[in-house]
Amino acid sequence: MKTKPIMHGYYVFSPATRLFHWNLVICIFLLFFTGLYIGNPFFIGSSGVEPTYAVNNLLSMENIRYVHFLAGYILMASLILRLYGFITHKGDRLFPKFWTRGYWDGLIDTQLHYMFLRTKHKPYLRNSLARTGYASVYGMILLEGVTGFAMYAMIRPNGAGAQMINPVNHWLVDEYMVHVIHHYVAWMIMLFVIVHVYMVFRADVMEKGGETSGMISGRKFYEEEPVDHRDLGE
Amino acid sequence: MDQLGTTLRELFEKRNLSRRTFLKTCATLTAILGLAPEMLQDVVAAAERKLLVPVIWLHGHECTGCDETLLRSQTPLASDVLLNMISLEYMDVLAAAAGEPLEEHLQQVMQAYKGRYILAVEGAVPLEADGIYCMVGGKPFVENLRQAAAGAAVILEVGSCAAWGGIQAAKPNPTKSVSVSDVIHGKTIVKIPGCPPIPEVLTGVIMHYTLFGKLPPLDSVGRPKQFYGNRIHDTCYRRPFFDSGMFVEKFDDAGSKAGWCLYKMGCRAPEAYNSCGNMRWWNGLSYPVQSGAPCVACGANNFWDQDPFYERLPGIPVPQTVANADKVGLITAGVLTLGVAAHGAASLIQSKKHAAEEEEKAKEDEK
Ligand code: SF4
Ligand code: SF4
Repeated sequence: MKTKPIMHGYYVFSPATRLFHWNLVICIFLLFFTGLYIGNPFFIGSSGVEPTYAVNNLLSMENIRYVHFLAGYILMASLILRLYGFITHKGDRLFPKFWTRGYWDGLIDTQLHYMFLRTKHKPYLRNSLARTGYASVYGMILLEGVTGFAMYAMIRPNGAGAQMINPVNHWLVDEYMVHVIHHYVAWMIMLFVIVHVYMVFRADVMEKGGETSGMISGRKFYEEEPVDHRDLGE
Repeated sequence: MDQLGTTLRELFEKRNLSRRTFLKTCATLTAILGLAPEMLQDVVAAAERKLLVPVIWLHGHECTGCDETLLRSQTPLASDVLLNMISLEYMDVLAAAAGEPLEEHLQQVMQAYKGRYILAVEGAVPLEADGIYCMVGGKPFVENLRQAAAGAAVILEVGSCAAWGGIQAAKPNPTKSVSVSDVIHGKTIVKIPGCPPIPEVLTGVIMHYTLFGKLPPLDSVGRPKQFYGNRIHDTCYRRPFFDSGMFVEKFDDAGSKAGWCLYKMGCRAPEAYNSCGNMRWWNGLSYPVQSGAPCVACGANNFWDQDPFYERLPGIPVPQTVANADKVGLITAGVLTLGVAAHGAASLIQSKKHAAEEEEKAKEDEK
């Protein structure tokens, strides 16, 4: 009989980051679907009603935009949580360390494994591919925030917000381009989500390290010591 | 040149126009300039005292559409504006003279009013091959522009071509056309974009400078705030339909007849900063959205490359067809989902195989 291996827990995610993560999940889904509607309002629930009354419809453009803006604000505000985790907890700082040998070794190792050329990859707190993916999704979220607020602020072109952020509209050619970029990046984030969710479940099934529950409990489990365990400072 | 050295008031007197007409004109001006009604007194005072400023109008790479619109400006009447109020000293398409005498006149005006004239430029500046794609008076336009700009008090970029490059700058931009401010530096430049700009906006800026000796407040890219401070979308009278989610789907559907929002027909007004919605065209008669046509944001940088105009998002050129972002996104997402499912299945098989092999090995070792 094969004995069950002994697993060691590593405390990776701080409470702030976990909270941030689940808030992000909700906000991104809300933002994505309301955003799709704003870009292409396919649903006409208001036909045959005077606009004076139709604007109060549950799914009027007005309300859907309201949800979009609200979710945008909440997402941006929740970045404070993430920042807090980042500052106080080492496990929330798993950068892609391009400048180290270990990063590139890990990148090749995991890629070969995902291409079925290696039966297993080494244990990582977070492998190089994931580190790169998360760093770029943060980049995309920030880009969405900046372009989003650049458009939103122009509701009041003389307001303080517009004074601050309007230059973005002109750096990126012009405001219409900002809409387009915002739209495309939203799709890229969605594509990331598909791969991300798959990768997490896959890791759970293959490595049984509690990848999914890790985002709730904060702990991930390993048979062997992860290669990058020093990033936790232990 | 006889208007120079005179004031607006003297001009009206010379033409035997009544004081009443003069005051009415001042009231109109006050409104166009976006000034509060109490400012009327200041406008009148300035019109009585301030000397008219000479205007030199150059034409570069363009279609003379902006001239056409200026000729149709209504308040104040085009003829008034041209011949009296702004004292247009040089404009090749409207001048009676032509050829060398006209070019000579230009040199004289530039000399005589050095540092004091307004330079209005219409059209882009082509730079490819030393600017030979646009020759005026035997010289590349860019040279004429540099010369005229050197002595100008302010420069107005009239129309989207001068302000952003315009249609000539559309991909792939074979003549390398650029805006005036890409070529001229260190001068006060006002952007008056539009294809064409609203004529009252242009004359308004010139009158503001004439009467008060300074430019109206500008925004961060140099457009006069009172005319380019708002999105047309925010002043659009179809806006309630937008907020309610009532959209025209086709140019001949019931929604279009009922005057619903043109957003889904590609209306770019949510990104268009212009005065069409409040000043309108042809003496306040109408503007595109009012006539049932979606705005193309003709005053915006790069609007010419953001086609198709009658769709909300620009097309993505896919071989054989043009797709839109949502379709491409949806298909990619679908393919990706199938891809990860297949990858998952393959991973499971591989891991099972691996486990079986390990067990085999373990058994062998035991033996
Ligand atoms: S017609 Fe255009 S400007 Fe008017 S509300 Fe609709 S999108 Fe906005
Ligand atoms: S409605 Fe739009 S496209 Fe038309 S002139 Fe005005 S800004 Fe230009």
